[in-house]
Amino acid sequence: MSAVVSTVRLHLNRRAATFIVPLTIAGTVALISVLIALIFWRSGSQPGSEGWIYGSQSNPGIVYALLGFLGYLGVSTVATTFPFALTLGATRRAFVAGTLIWDAMMAAYIAVIFAILTAIEIATNHWFVGFYIFDIYVLGGADMPRLLLIVFLGVLTTLTIGGVFAAGWVRFGALGPQLIAVGVVLALAIAAITLVPQAAAIATAFQLWWLAAASVTVIILAAIGTWLLLRPAIVR
Amino acid sequence: MTNAVDIRSISRSFGRTRALEDITLSVPDGSICGLFGRNGAGKTTIMSILAGQDRPTSGNAKVFGEHPFENSSTLSKISFVRDNQRYPDDYRLHHVLRIAPRFAPNWSVDVAAELVDGLRIPAKIPIKKFSRGQLSSIAIVMGLASRAPLTLLDEPYLGLDITARALFHDLLLRDYSAHPRTVILSTHLIEESEALFDRVIIIDRGRVRVDCERDEASNLAFTISGPADAVDKLSTNRRVLLTHAAGGLRSATITGEASDELVLQARTLGATISSASLPELVAAYGADAPESTLIKKGARA
Amino acid sequence: MFTNEGPIFQQLAAMIADGIVNGTYLEETAVPSATDFAAFHRMNPATASKGVNTLVDLGVLYKKRGVGMFVASGAREILRAQRRDEFRKKYLQPLLRETAVLGITTGKLHSMIDDEGQDPR
Repeated sequence: MSAVVSTVRLHLNRRAATFIVPLTIAGTVALISVLIALIFWRSGSQPGSEGWIYGSQSNPGIVYALLGFLGYLGVSTVATTFPFALTLGATRRAFVAGTLIWDAMMAAYIAVIFAILTAIEIATNHWFVGFYIFDIYVLGGADMPRLLLIVFLGVLTTLTIGGVFAAGWVRFGALGPQLIAVGVVLALAIAAITLVPQAAAIATAFQLWWLAAASVTVIILAAIGTWLLLRPAIVR
Repeated sequence: MTNAVDIRSISRSFGRTRALEDITLSVPDGSICGLFGRNGAGKTTIMSILAGQDRPTSGNAKVFGEHPFENSSTLSKISFVRDNQRYPDDYRLHHVLRIAPRFAPNWSVDVAAELVDGLRIPAKIPIKKFSRGQLSSIAIVMGLASRAPLTLLDEPYLGLDITARALFHDLLLRDYSAHPRTVILSTHLIEESEALFDRVIIIDRGRVRVDCERDEASNLAFTISGPADAVDKLSTNRRVLLTHAAGGLRSATITGEASDELVLQARTLGATISSASLPELVAAYGADAPESTLIKKGARA
Repeated sequence: MFTNEGPIFQQLAAMIADGIVNGTYLEETAVPSATDFAAFHRMNPATASKGVNTLVDLGVLYKKRGVGMFVASGAREILRAQRRDEFRKKYLQPLLRETAVLGITTGKLHSMIDDEGQDPR
């Protein structure tokens, strides 16, 4: 158990990447959103009007900005930290478990940050001037439990996917991520081919929790894949 | 005396490349052992297997009586920093100093501080931008400060200046005397480090060629040098590891000990015989002389 | 520091013995410990102990509990006697070989030694 804790500590050792970079990215994106809003404002759009609210609530800029960084973080926690973890004397088992725990901590941390920022956004009546940065549709439109769940699962999914691709790289070199990508594309294609006839029925029956279930499935698959890839991995 | 390391006929293949072939060796607890051989001879692969970072294709390697692979308690007794060690992105010196003690139960803050200071390791530069010597320095910090019961030092001198090498030797010996442990050190700077060792292992092409106490190594081979025909005559029917010739002069490094009779015979022929130094021995085993270089010119009269 | 000829522990023992014969280490005084020798010569501590113990076995050094290693009384004489035995092999025989090569007769050698001895140095 302490070996797992040590691996979590190893990931937390990158304090800046873990705690500060998500904050600065959120801040930067907020700033950019404000600038864009200002441009719209100057060009005649009226803050508070229905079109304005609809437009800015549909803008998921914050999501894209963070996804890129989280994808990188997911990759680097495995790609460069794994060889160093082995050097320190971690077992592969403890490393995979510790990485998963750290991924979850990270997801919870970012979810809480988002919740706080959303609460501020709402309490200040959208930053006093009607800017929608966190109160947006993809993040649940200010429904707190929904926002927490979406951000938590979204971050965790991104980190674990990054991790499994990096594990493929550690195990098989450049070929690894390509193989995983081919496998995923094939799986999606087969799913699409079998499901397309019922597409209409599926679309009408679609429930939002399906997405949550799908991301949990992806997280579990990615974690298992990471373990299977790293268990026999050697460092050269 | 118990053994820190016990390797029983391990082989390791990477695809079609045979990196190690049927290696059997042991290192007694408390030894400072030199591991020598040419680049690609298999030194790093052996260390990697001992550190549980790699697994042999066949055979088994034990450290303190246990298999190191995925064995948390054994791994905590081993320190091994590869010569091409990768560090997490954006790591600086303080990241290493903060996390390494968590994995090394015997970590000494004082040893680490003294080395960081003496080796002048920069604190502000990302490790990714370190020079070769600076990378070696940080590996030395991890290797010595961890005070690991089995310390594997893979080419610790690469790119290090002479002052830094002396500091490393001093600290290694001083800390070893206060906190004995087993050390396996691989290097090409044999002359400079040979007095450190009480055991010597020479490998070539994945095979163990020499595995003995340091003091025995001086009796393993000798070199005859002098006029070419005298040297040829004296080396007849002996196992020649390495020859070197220029003009009419020739030298031959031969396994075994030179008998008094041979020394006398050499003197009358105008040749000299001296026992091979450790660097000469390593060079000789690394030379491309195949095993069959037994010079046979028919029976001597 | 160390040469290629002979095991290192013997070379260390010879170095300490030199110190005793030439008066660097006086009888009944302390010599550096094996650890000190190891640190100073940057050599293996086990090898250094072996070198020091060679002299202990000869009765040249002895261990005072909790204090350290000391030169035994009579150590100098033991070593001088040993070296007188070695003198022939180490100096005399090579000397005679060289005189033969150079064509120096025994008579000439005698007078050379006499001259050398008178040299006020």
